Amino acid sequence: MLELAIGIILGCCALGAGAAMIAGIGPGIGEGNAVAAACEAIGRQPESKGDVTSTMLMGCAVAETTGLYALVIAILLIFVAPRMLVNILMEAVGK
Amino acid sequence: MQNLLNKLKSVDATVKKESLYIASVTGILSLLLQAVFLIARHWDYTVLLGNILGAVTAAGNFFLMGITVQKAVAKEKKPAADLMKFSQTARLLMQLVVAVLGFALPCFNGYAVIIPLFFPRIAIMIRPFIK
Repeated sequence: MLELAIGIILGCCALGAGAAMIAGIGPGIGEGNAVAAACEAIGRQPESKGDVTSTMLMGCAVAETTGLYALVIAILLIFVAPRMLVNILMEAVGK
Repeated sequence: MQNLLNKLKSVDATVKKESLYIASVTGILSLLLQAVFLIARHWDYTVLLGNILGAVTAAGNFFLMGITVQKAVAKEKKPAADLMKFSQTARLLMQLVVAVLGFALPCFNGYAVIIPLFFPRIAIMIRPFIK
Protein backbone atom coordinates (compact mmCIF):
# COMPACT_ATOMS: atom_id res chain seq x y z
CA MET A 1 0.00 0.00 0.00
CA LEU A 2 2.86 2.34 0.90
CA GLU A 3 4.60 1.55 -2.40
CA LEU A 4 1.40 2.40 -4.25
CA ALA A 5 1.13 5.74 -2.44
CA ILE A 6 4.76 6.56 -3.25
CA GLY A 7 4.18 5.57 -6.87
CA ILE A 8 1.15 7.85 -7.07
CA ILE A 9 3.16 10.73 -5.60
CA LEU A 10 6.01 10.23 -8.08
CA GLY A 11 3.60 9.84 -11.00
CA CYS A 12 1.64 12.96 -10.07
CA CYS A 13 4.88 14.96 -9.72
CA ALA A 14 5.99 13.84 -13.20
CA LEU A 15 2.55 14.62 -14.66
CA GLY A 16 2.56 18.02 -12.96
CA ALA A 17 6.02 18.80 -14.34
CA GLY A 18 4.88 17.86 -17.83
CA ALA A 19 1.72 19.96 -17.50
CA ALA A 20 3.76 22.93 -16.23
CA MET A 21 5.96 22.83 -19.31
CA ILE A 22 2.89 23.43 -21.52
CA ALA A 23 3.31 27.05 -20.44
CA GLY A 24 6.60 27.04 -22.34
CA ILE A 25 4.67 27.18 -25.62
CA GLY A 26 3.10 30.57 -24.89
CA PRO A 27 6.23 32.77 -24.87
CA GLY A 28 7.36 31.32 -28.21
CA ILE A 29 4.09 32.27 -29.88
CA GLY A 30 4.09 35.69 -28.19
CA GLU A 31 7.66 36.47 -29.19
CA GLY A 32 6.93 35.33 -32.74
CA ASN A 33 4.00 37.74 -32.96
CA ALA A 34 6.04 40.59 -31.45
CA VAL A 35 8.88 40.08 -33.92
CA ALA A 36 6.45 39.85 -36.84
CA ALA A 37 4.90 43.18 -35.79
CA ALA A 38 8.37 44.70 -35.35
CA CYS A 39 9.34 43.60 -38.89
CA GLU A 40 6.28 45.43 -40.16
CA ALA A 41 7.11 48.54 -38.11
CA ILE A 42 10.75 48.60 -39.30
CA GLY A 43 9.57 48.09 -42.88
CA ARG A 44 7.34 51.15 -42.52
CA GLN A 45 9.91 53.30 -40.68
CA PRO A 46 13.46 51.97 -41.25
CA GLU A 47 15.01 54.85 -39.28
CA SER A 48 13.37 53.57 -36.06
CA LYS A 49 15.15 50.19 -36.25
CA GLY A 50 17.35 50.79 -33.18
CA ASP A 51 14.48 51.87 -30.94
CA VAL A 52 12.18 49.07 -32.12
CA THR A 53 14.89 46.43 -31.65
CA SER A 54 15.72 47.70 -28.16
CA THR A 55 12.08 47.80 -27.04
CA MET A 56 11.38 44.41 -28.58
CA LEU A 57 14.42 42.82 -26.90
CA MET A 58 13.15 43.94 -23.53
CA GLY A 59 9.62 42.81 -24.34
CA CYS A 60 10.83 39.41 -25.48
CA ALA A 61 12.90 38.99 -22.31
CA VAL A 62 9.86 39.80 -20.18
CA ALA A 63 7.67 37.39 -22.18
CA GLU A 64 10.27 34.68 -21.79
CA THR A 65 10.14 34.87 -18.01
CA THR A 66 6.72 33.18 -18.13
CA GLY A 67 8.34 30.14 -19.69
CA LEU A 68 11.05 30.28 -17.05
CA TYR A 69 8.47 30.19 -14.25
CA ALA A 70 7.05 27.02 -15.80
CA LEU A 71 10.55 25.58 -16.11
CA VAL A 72 11.31 26.25 -12.44
CA ILE A 73 8.01 24.71 -11.33
CA ALA A 74 8.75 21.61 -13.44
CA ILE A 75 12.29 21.31 -12.07
CA LEU A 76 11.08 21.68 -8.47
CA LEU A 77 8.34 19.09 -9.09
CA ILE A 78 10.91 16.61 -10.39
CA PHE A 79 13.85 17.19 -8.03
CA VAL A 80 12.45 18.66 -4.80
CA ALA A 81 8.75 17.80 -4.38
CA PRO A 82 8.94 13.96 -4.55
CA ARG A 83 11.46 13.70 -1.69
CA MET A 84 9.52 16.21 0.40
CA LEU A 85 6.14 14.52 -0.18
CA VAL A 86 7.52 11.02 0.45
CA ASN A 87 9.06 12.26 3.71
CA ILE A 88 5.70 13.72 4.76
CA LEU A 89 4.03 10.39 3.90
CA MET A 90 6.63 8.42 5.86
CA GLU A 91 6.13 10.66 8.88
CA ALA A 92 2.35 10.27 8.60
CA VAL A 93 2.54 6.47 8.62
CA GLY A 94 5.25 6.54 11.31
CA LYS A 95 8.13 4.95 9.35
CA MET B 1 38.91 32.44 -33.56
CA GLN B 2 39.12 35.13 -36.23
CA ASN B 3 35.80 33.88 -37.59
CA LEU B 4 34.19 34.24 -34.16
CA LEU B 5 35.57 37.76 -33.77
CA ASN B 6 34.21 38.72 -37.19
CA LYS B 7 30.81 37.33 -36.21
CA LEU B 8 30.89 39.32 -32.95
CA LYS B 9 31.72 42.47 -34.90
CA SER B 10 28.64 41.96 -37.06
CA VAL B 11 26.36 42.01 -33.99
CA ASP B 12 24.05 45.03 -33.93
CA ALA B 13 25.12 47.91 -31.63
CA THR B 14 21.72 47.87 -29.86
CA VAL B 15 22.06 44.16 -29.11
CA LYS B 16 25.59 44.69 -27.78
CA LYS B 17 24.50 47.60 -25.59
CA GLU B 18 21.48 45.79 -24.11
CA SER B 19 23.43 42.55 -23.61
CA LEU B 20 26.17 44.45 -21.81
CA TYR B 21 23.59 46.10 -19.53
CA ILE B 22 21.93 42.74 -18.76
CA ALA B 23 25.30 41.06 -18.14
CA SER B 24 26.40 43.89 -15.81
CA VAL B 25 23.22 43.79 -13.72
CA THR B 26 23.34 39.97 -13.65
CA GLY B 27 26.91 40.20 -12.35
CA ILE B 28 25.96 42.69 -9.63
CA LEU B 29 22.93 40.64 -8.58
CA SER B 30 25.12 37.50 -8.53
CA LEU B 31 27.42 39.20 -6.04
CA LEU B 32 24.34 40.07 -3.96
CA LEU B 33 23.21 36.43 -4.12
CA GLN B 34 26.62 35.30 -2.89
CA ALA B 35 26.36 37.79 -0.05
CA VAL B 36 22.90 36.48 0.90
CA PHE B 37 24.19 32.89 0.98
CA LEU B 38 27.17 34.03 3.08
CA ILE B 39 24.96 35.87 5.55
CA ALA B 40 22.61 32.87 5.76
CA ARG B 41 25.68 30.68 6.43
CA HIS B 42 24.83 28.36 3.53
CA TRP B 43 27.77 29.38 1.36
CA ASP B 44 30.16 26.79 -0.08
CA TYR B 45 31.91 26.32 -3.43
CA THR B 46 28.77 24.71 -4.96
CA VAL B 47 26.91 28.02 -4.51
CA LEU B 48 29.66 29.88 -6.38
CA LEU B 49 29.82 27.33 -9.21
CA GLY B 50 26.02 27.19 -9.48
CA ASN B 51 25.80 30.98 -9.51
CA ILE B 52 28.41 31.22 -12.27
CA LEU B 53 26.60 28.59 -14.35
CA GLY B 54 23.21 30.28 -13.88
CA ALA B 55 24.49 33.81 -14.53
CA VAL B 56 26.40 32.83 -17.67
CA THR B 57 23.32 30.99 -18.95
CA ALA B 58 21.04 33.96 -18.22
CA ALA B 59 23.32 36.51 -19.91
CA GLY B 60 24.07 34.12 -22.79
CA ASN B 61 20.37 33.44 -23.28
CA PHE B 62 19.70 37.17 -23.59
CA PHE B 63 22.58 37.62 -26.05
CA LEU B 64 21.36 34.70 -28.17
CA MET B 65 17.87 36.20 -28.13
CA GLY B 66 19.36 39.50 -29.29
CA ILE B 67 21.15 37.81 -32.20
CA THR B 68 17.93 36.03 -33.14
CA VAL B 69 15.98 39.29 -33.03
CA GLN B 70 18.66 40.96 -35.19
CA LYS B 71 18.37 38.18 -37.77
CA ALA B 72 14.57 38.06 -37.55
CA VAL B 73 13.98 41.76 -38.23
CA ALA B 74 15.82 41.39 -41.55
CA LYS B 75 13.28 38.76 -42.68
CA GLU B 76 9.65 38.80 -43.78
CA LYS B 77 6.86 38.55 -41.18
CA LYS B 78 6.18 34.79 -41.30
CA PRO B 79 9.80 33.53 -41.41
CA ALA B 80 10.69 36.02 -38.67
CA ALA B 81 7.94 34.68 -36.38
CA ASP B 82 8.97 31.08 -37.11
CA LEU B 83 12.63 31.82 -36.40
CA MET B 84 11.73 33.45 -33.10
CA LYS B 85 9.53 30.49 -32.05
CA PHE B 86 12.30 28.03 -32.89
CA SER B 87 14.89 30.11 -31.08
CA GLN B 88 12.72 30.43 -27.98
CA THR B 89 12.14 26.66 -27.84
CA ALA B 90 15.86 25.94 -28.29
CA ARG B 91 16.84 28.45 -25.60
CA LEU B 92 14.21 27.12 -23.18
CA LEU B 93 15.63 23.61 -23.73
CA MET B 94 19.12 24.96 -23.06
CA GLN B 95 17.92 26.45 -19.78
CA LEU B 96 16.15 23.20 -18.90
CA VAL B 97 19.40 21.27 -19.43
CA VAL B 98 21.30 23.78 -17.29
CA ALA B 99 18.69 23.60 -14.51
CA VAL B 100 18.69 19.78 -14.57
CA LEU B 101 22.51 19.76 -14.46
CA GLY B 102 22.36 22.20 -11.55
CA PHE B 103 20.13 19.91 -9.52
CA ALA B 104 21.62 16.59 -10.68
CA LEU B 105 25.35 17.29 -10.31
CA PRO B 106 26.66 17.52 -6.74
CA CYS B 107 29.18 20.24 -7.63
CA PHE B 108 26.34 22.75 -8.20
CA ASN B 109 23.82 24.18 -5.77
CA GLY B 110 20.48 23.85 -7.60
CA TYR B 111 18.95 27.00 -6.15
CA ALA B 112 22.08 29.02 -7.01
CA VAL B 113 21.66 27.86 -10.61
CA ILE B 114 17.93 28.61 -10.86
CA ILE B 115 17.83 32.05 -9.19
CA PRO B 116 20.24 33.85 -11.61
CA LEU B 117 18.04 32.80 -14.54
CA PHE B 118 15.59 35.48 -13.34
CA PHE B 119 18.19 38.25 -13.09
CA PRO B 120 17.61 39.58 -16.65
CA ARG B 121 13.93 40.08 -15.73
CA ILE B 122 14.97 42.04 -12.62
CA ALA B 123 17.44 44.03 -14.76
CA ILE B 124 14.61 45.05 -17.08
CA MET B 125 12.37 45.88 -14.12
CA ILE B 126 14.93 48.26 -12.55
CA ARG B 127 15.96 49.82 -15.89
CA PRO B 128 13.66 52.90 -15.63
CA PHE B 129 15.21 53.74 -12.25
CA ILE B 130 18.77 53.42 -13.57
CA LYS B 131 18.08 55.66 -16.58
